Amino acid sequence: MIKGALEASVIEGVDRLDTEVEHIYASDLMSDVLAFGRPNSILLTGLATQQAVISAHMAEFVGVVFIRGKKPKDGSEKFAKDNQLILLSTKLDMYEACVRIDSTRRGRYSGAKGSWMRQGTEEMSLSREFFIQGSDFANAGMVSTKVKSILKKIGFDPKLVRRVAISTYEGEMNVVMHAKRAKVDLSVTPGLIQVVIEDEGKGIPDVELAMQEGFTTATEEMRAMGFGSGMGLPNIKKNSDELDIRSEVEKGTTLQMRFFI
Amino acid sequence: MTTQDLITKIGLKPLSKFEHRDVEGVFVSDMLSDVMAGAKSGNLWLTIQTHKSIVPAANLVDVSAVIITSGKEVPQDTVDLASKYNIAILSSDLATFELVGKLYGLGLGAK
Repeated sequence: MIKGALEASVIEGVDRLDTEVEHIYASDLMSDVLAFGRPNSILLTGLATQQAVISAHMAEFVGVVFIRGKKPKDGSEKFAKDNQLILLSTKLDMYEACVRIDSTRRGRYSGAKGSWMRQGTEEMSLSREFFIQGSDFANAGMVSTKVKSILKKIGFDPKLVRRVAISTYEGEMNVVMHAKRAKVDLSVTPGLIQVVIEDEGKGIPDVELAMQEGFTTATEEMRAMGFGSGMGLPNIKKNSDELDIRSEVEKGTTLQMRFFI
Repeated sequence: MTTQDLITKIGLKPLSKFEHRDVEGVFVSDMLSDVMAGAKSGNLWLTIQTHKSIVPAANLVDVSAVIITSGKEVPQDTVDLASKYNIAILSSDLATFELVGKLYGLGLGAK
């Protein structure tokens, strides 16, 4: 995330760029870093010397970003490599670098519309896991409601959010009505939202037949509650851009729904 | 037309807590899967279903309000869940057919 937000180049640690950063610490005074820096932070500094890298290591930081295009010329690289630190360099100044990280973070978590997508790079992604219990009609629809809230917060187009929400709901209802339990994986990457619902249950003997509008195996009880008019899978197909169904009788069904952003 | 206008003009009883919003078109169905497939964003949804599963459905298709017709009693857990998600649950003593007539008279069509 940080590399993307700062349009930074990597000096060291290209294979560790997926490391989680918990805090940002911006300072040129290494005594401050050692006194106040919290573990798993990344240091933003204009001090392009090995002292900065050593201090970051002592404070258990994950790495250092050098601002204004600075790059350390001493043995920093080797020290960083030996101690598993990431070193980045950005052309931005300290103020701009801090602003960019903050706005990218806000864009991602509280939904300044689409900003995290625009500023992001291929490292930008989100994935969440949920569980659905079969026959749990009391909580039916809650997983898709959560999925909707997450996508809405990120700031996606309401029409897209609605398509994902409806498709997820139909998938969720199928699990509640017909399966024992299921795991739901939501993943958001640039250009694509994917929802995978993998259930354990009786499976679908004839997927083609199940895809036909009006075909239903719902019981009278389910129908009395307003479910099971045989519109579920066709409605998912209508609302998603791509739908894959894999099913094995007496084992379970996996729905893979993809939505292009 | 807003949910506020409807409440005043038709005499609907608000049951949940919600923010008023614009109403566009009407959708009538007691089948949730039918609603998921056919209702449009902003629609009023008329139904006699009162089970709390109507709340996620209303939220997901983004209806402007759910009107429970025929004065059917709505369970408290449905109302509470609706309040949590800012979904308008309104109650009418009229049967669905009569209410549809009134809404039509107000110029609301199927959207």
